[in-house]
Amino acid sequence: MNHPGELISAYLDGELSRPEIAQLLAHLDGCGRCAAELQEVQTVRSAVRSLPLLEMPAGLIPEADADVVPLHRNKGFLVGAAAAVVALVIAIAALVTPAAGTVSLEELNSRYGARASLDPAFGPAKVVVPDLAELLE
Amino acid sequence: MRRIVVFVVALVLLPASTAAGAELDELLDESRDASYRAEQVITCSTPDGVRDAVIELSQSGGELHVGAPAAPDVEVAAGAGGWALVREGSVVSSANVQGAGDVPQPRYSVDDGVDTDYLGREATRYEMAGDGVVRAELVFDVEIGALLHLVTFNGDGSIYCERRFLTFDPEAPHASGEDSVTPAQSAEGGVESDLPETLAGFERLDVYEDDEGFVFAYYSDAFFSFAVFQIPSVLTIETGSPVTLADRVYTRSFSPGQVTYAWETRTGAMAVVGDLPPDMHEEVLAGLPAPEDPGLLRRLWRSLFG
Repeated sequence: MNHPGELISAYLDGELSRPEIAQLLAHLDGCGRCAAELQEVQTVRSAVRSLPLLEMPAGLIPEADADVVPLHRNKGFLVGAAAAVVALVIAIAALVTPAAGTVSLEELNSRYGARASLDPAFGPAKVVVPDLAELLE
Repeated sequence: MRRIVVFVVALVLLPASTAAGAELDELLDESRDASYRAEQVITCSTPDGVRDAVIELSQSGGELHVGAPAAPDVEVAAGAGGWALVREGSVVSSANVQGAGDVPQPRYSVDDGVDTDYLGREATRYEMAGDGVVRAELVFDVEIGALLHLVTFNGDGSIYCERRFLTFDPEAPHASGEDSVTPAQSAEGGVESDLPETLAGFERLDVYEDDEGFVFAYYSDAFFSFAVFQIPSVLTIETGSPVTLADRVYTRSFSPGQVTYAWETRTGAMAVVGDLPPDMHEEVLAGLPAPEDPGLLRRLWRSLFG
C-alpha cells in the first residue's frame, strides 16, 4: 500500500468504509511517517476547533454576503435544537406520567377529618389533631 | 403569644344501630350530646416513638370545639362533613364531603361496666372488645355522659393511645357559632371505585372524588376508621420515614391518635390515614395495591419539576 495521505483526512472525517479503515490501520502500524502524519493532522484539527468563532464582517466579501449565515443564527439553531429535544422528552414524560403537583399530609388530614366528623364514633374519642410539629416548622 | 388551634364540629345525630352494638353506640351518642369544657392530653406509643398533644375541648349545643395551646395563628374548623385548616386568616387546606353517615355492622361490644370515679365525679368504666380481644377502655361521666377517659389497645394488650381529661367543667361550655369556615374543596360521594368493599374487617362506607381525580374511600368498623386515598399526582410527607411491612416499603408518619401511610404507584400515589392501632396496619395495607416503582420517565419528570 502506498502512503495514503488523503485517506488519513477521510478517516478522520469518518468517510472510510470498514475494509478501508482496516487497511489504513494496518498500514499505520508499520509506517511511522503516516502515523506521525495522522497525529499531526489530529493536532491541527483540534487546534482549529478550539479557536473562537467570529462572525465575518459584512462587506468583506461582497458577493458572498447573500449566502453567509450569521453566526448568532447558527447558535440559535443549536439552542433551538436542544430545546426541541428537551421539549420532546418532557412531552413523552407528560404522556406517561401523572400530572405534576403535590398533595400534602394536611390535605389528607383535611379530607379524613371531614369524613370522620360524620362518624358516629366521632367526638373526644376521635378528634383529628393536626400535626402541630409540622405546622410550627 | 397564646397559640390556639380551634376545631369546630357540628355533631350529626345518627340513628342507633342494631341491638348487638346498641350499647356502645348509645354511650357514644350520649357523649356527643353532653355539654362541657375540658382539657385533654393525648399520648400515643407508636413504633416510631411517643406522639402527644394537649387540646382544649368544649362541647355544647351539638358542636364540639377543640383547641391546642401550641400552634400560633393556626385554626382548624370542622363540622358536619366540613374541615378546614386556617393559618393567619388564610385557608391552607380544606375539604367538604357529603357522606351518607352510614353505620357499619358492629364489630365490638362493651361489658356491663364498673363504677368508678374520675376527676372527683361519678363515672362508669367499660371495656370494649371484639373477637375476644379488648380494644378499648372507656370512662363515661355518670351525670352527663361525657367520655372522660379513653385508652385504645394493640392486639397484644399493650396501650396504643390514651386520651385523658386533665380538667373537666360541665358548667362552662364554649359559646357556639364561632370559627365557622367555608371549605374550598368539596367531594361528592357515591362514585364508583375499585377499592375493596371490605378490608381487614372494615366496611367501606362511601367513596368520594373531586374534579382533579382525587379519590378517597372511608372505612369503619364502628369505632376505628381510616381513609384510603388514590392520588393522581405526587404525594409528599416530609415528616414520614420508610417502613417495610410484608416486604412492601411505605412512608409512615404518626401524629397524636393518627397514622398515615403513603406509597407510589405507576399511576400516582396512594395513602391511608386513620386511627387504627399499629397491629391492624399490615392487614389493611395487604388488601390494597402494592407499592410500585414509578419508572424512569416519572423520575425524570420529578427531577425536572420537583
